[in-house]
Amino acid sequence: MTPTKFVGVGNYLDMLSDPAFRSSLVTFLAFAVFIVPTTFVISLGAALLVARTRVMQSFFRSVFFLPTACSYVVASLIWKMSIFSGIRSGLANGVLGWFGVDSIPWLSLADPPWYWLVIVTARLWLQVGFYMILFLAGIQRISPTLYEAAAIDGAEGWKVFRHITLPQLRATSTAVLLLLLINAFQAFDEFYNILSTFGTYPPYARPPLVYLYYTALGSGQDFGHGSAGAVILTLIIAIVAVVQGRILRLGDRGE
Amino acid sequence: MSDKQIGREIGQALGANLTRRSLFALGGAAAVTGALAACGSNTGREPAATGGGASGGSGVTLNQWYHQYGEAGTQQAVEKYAAAYKDATVKVSWKPGDYDQSTAASLLTDAGPDVFEYGNGPTIDMIKGGQVVDLTDLIGDTKSDFNPSILERMTYQGKTYAVPQVVDMQLLVYRKSMLDKAGIQPPQTIDELIAAAKKLTQGNVKGLFLGNDGGAGLMGGPMLWSAGLDYLTKDNQFGFDDPRAATALGKLREMWDAKVLLLGAPKDWFDASALTSGLTAMQFTGLWTFPDIKKGLGDDFGVLPWPALDSSGKASVPVGAYGSCVSAKSKDVEAAKKFVKWLWIDQTQDQLDFATSYGFHIPSRTSLISQASTLKSGQAADAAKLATDVGHAQSPILWTPKCATAFGDAMNRIVKEGADPAGEIAKVKAVADPELKRVLA
Amino acid sequence: MAIVRSKRQSRVTGWARYSALVVAALLFLIPFYLLIRSAFMREQDLGSPDFHWLPPVWETSNLTGLFDNPAIPMARSLLNSGLIAVTQTVGVLVISGLAGYGLARIPYRWSNAVFYTITATLLIPAAVTFVPSFVLVSTLGWISTLRGLIIPGLFQALATFLFRQFFLGFPKEIEEAAFIDGLGYWGTFWKIVVPNSMGFVAAIGTITFIGSWNAFLWPLVIGRDQESWTVQIALSTFLTAQSVQVSQLFMAALVAIVPLLLMFLFLQRWIVEGVERTGIAGD
Repeated sequence: MTPTKFVGVGNYLDMLSDPAFRSSLVTFLAFAVFIVPTTFVISLGAALLVARTRVMQSFFRSVFFLPTACSYVVASLIWKMSIFSGIRSGLANGVLGWFGVDSIPWLSLADPPWYWLVIVTARLWLQVGFYMILFLAGIQRISPTLYEAAAIDGAEGWKVFRHITLPQLRATSTAVLLLLLINAFQAFDEFYNILSTFGTYPPYARPPLVYLYYTALGSGQDFGHGSAGAVILTLIIAIVAVVQGRILRLGDRGE
Repeated sequence: MSDKQIGREIGQALGANLTRRSLFALGGAAAVTGALAACGSNTGREPAATGGGASGGSGVTLNQWYHQYGEAGTQQAVEKYAAAYKDATVKVSWKPGDYDQSTAASLLTDAGPDVFEYGNGPTIDMIKGGQVVDLTDLIGDTKSDFNPSILERMTYQGKTYAVPQVVDMQLLVYRKSMLDKAGIQPPQTIDELIAAAKKLTQGNVKGLFLGNDGGAGLMGGPMLWSAGLDYLTKDNQFGFDDPRAATALGKLREMWDAKVLLLGAPKDWFDASALTSGLTAMQFTGLWTFPDIKKGLGDDFGVLPWPALDSSGKASVPVGAYGSCVSAKSKDVEAAKKFVKWLWIDQTQDQLDFATSYGFHIPSRTSLISQASTLKSGQAADAAKLATDVGHAQSPILWTPKCATAFGDAMNRIVKEGADPAGEIAKVKAVADPELKRVLA
Repeated sequence: MAIVRSKRQSRVTGWARYSALVVAALLFLIPFYLLIRSAFMREQDLGSPDFHWLPPVWETSNLTGLFDNPAIPMARSLLNSGLIAVTQTVGVLVISGLAGYGLARIPYRWSNAVFYTITATLLIPAAVTFVPSFVLVSTLGWISTLRGLIIPGLFQALATFLFRQFFLGFPKEIEEAAFIDGLGYWGTFWKIVVPNSMGFVAAIGTITFIGSWNAFLWPLVIGRDQESWTVQIALSTFLTAQSVQVSQLFMAALVAIVPLLLMFLFLQRWIVEGVERTGIAGD
């Protein structure tokens, strides 16, 4: 496993021109563009609902938070075999059956890409609770006097949310967005467990880590290209993090 | 600085004391190693060092790897055989999951097996890379007793690199009662098969099960053969650059579009449960499932080969065998070879037990087939006859894993996405031609 | 007038809010329900052409069958997961706790540089560099060993960062009193700071334990040998290879998450509090 020959930046150039690696970056991008805002909105919504509830607040909080203790592997098992199985014994097709709709083989179809529904819902279930807790903490730190002042001014509902809650949650939102993005970069577990069967992975829906896993640890054992891919990914993440930090800070100045 | 040196330093740092500084050094070293590893040559595949065959005798420990067989009792059986071996301690590892890839990968490291099974023998890259040992002399006189097409599949340039363990076959299995009820004769051509599948698809029962990917992974070869073609021509050129291949592969998409294929079953084609629990009327599966089918359906099933496309094509059943190989990185190659000879050549009773007592397989030694009582009657006998009459080795040795991946991707696009078969075949050819050139060089 | 309208409106929104919460809570609980249901179903009912809310027959033998099945190394993988999670949790608490305290309190020439280095690595998740890490660990000969599984996860930048932030907010006066009593940094840390930070330590500990128990990519890469599988790898292998009964697989998954769910419910208060106190989410 010791490098036997120094090939300079050759492996980096190979990876950058490898269409499969580039398409894995596109897959990540599409995934992130959907999952980051969706998780953000749902967790914030859940936090707002739970924060305003007095009855059974801790029950609801626990229910949403509980999946955080679950692993991606267990969730993949439930999603693949129990909810989105291709036959009527799966919950989704069972429900469709009540309405007389044909069974949909969620994970066998490439077109339309129903597998995204399976992957995205699994991830939402697993991570919404954690971000909800972050938002809850942020909401509880907002001073009640701000709301009292707003009430005196006659502001309510959306206006209060837009002009008080959201700006006060700026720091929390920045952290949540960054964490969500970094998590999306690491997407591997649910893709691998839901889509691979018997050692093979379909030629679509391959995020970067899945592609690198099969490159470096598959039959090719190509550690040179695998490592080059890892370094490229690291650089991308670093750049994105810095840019995101800059954008949000610029936004600060603008306010 | 090589990463080996870095590794040693970190080891010492960690062993000595967990100071904050050394831990930070760990982080730095990891980063440096990463950058270095990225600059190393592709695989670092070194010419395999042959292990010193010094010791021998009772002090030797051999690691033997199997993929996980689905049939109950198989693991205990192979452990029993290994325990009975006197000349070395044999440690059996049972490897579920990604067996082909993880085994191929581990052959390059020191953590690999001494003796391992591999589907249809080692790959051409393992042979050319010197990762496996020539076993021709072990087989010796028994050569004529082995199934010739299987043995040939494990032979390259006159040297045999694996000993076939048992012959496996895949075939079409159908529920007699369902076909009778629908008034259908067992289909003899692909079009008859499609028509039958359409008629048999009713409510929650589908007509045909070719795997949860609609046959993209499984049916490529059988479809080429049904058109009278093959992966490679006799003189080792790309074999299916032909409009008939496009027609044949397009038939799978036709079945997909007709919604007669079972998709998303809890257990895939290699398990009998889709057929026995009534999810499908016909299923392409392995002979090994016959005990389960018999348990679930009694006598209510029949067997067929994968039919011919038309009168100028051929019906077929894929046959293949796991071959027992010896890793060139084994610490004691001679002891490993001796064990392979003992188990897979000399111990004919163990071979018979392995082939017939658990799932159903066909012994790879023709002299044992007549002793296999399980293959003497009923559907299993019909299946064994198909294997002899229309059996077709799964893929040629020169069809490298890279070609197989390209073909698999193309099949996925044809079947699942409805891509144009002719265009996809051209893409496979573009990958296969240079690969063939490489391995033939 | 305005007040009346807003009261009625708030009652309506109150009902809407409750309905939304109840529906969402049901959706979040269904997967757990399906897991439990499937773990007690017979194999043929799981693959049957109909959906069942309840198992037609409650099959309790799945549990005993799971531990009797020699093909599934259940006990061994649970043991591995437990060992790894416990050592990593203790290790992270001690190492990151000390590092965080040192960075927060001990004036030292390079402390800022070190802190910025750690913060920078925060943004680069360990998972992304798994290929070079694998090369490193395999050079050490640690493939398929507990060492290889545990040691790379012993230091966590995030935990160090959080500990530093937390200790910065620790009341300095108490520590100064301890110094006057003759305790050095070491004594102050163990005798004064740690006992007064147990809630935070519990939060980081729980999060680390869960993360370690549920880790997948690294154990997948390193645990090449059945003896070194964690419970997640065992589940994943049988899920993707489909080589065991599905009902037993569900039972195995249930066994794998029950201890964690119990611990989680019990310690949840600390996590929530820890999140609120550290300001992981800003400030």
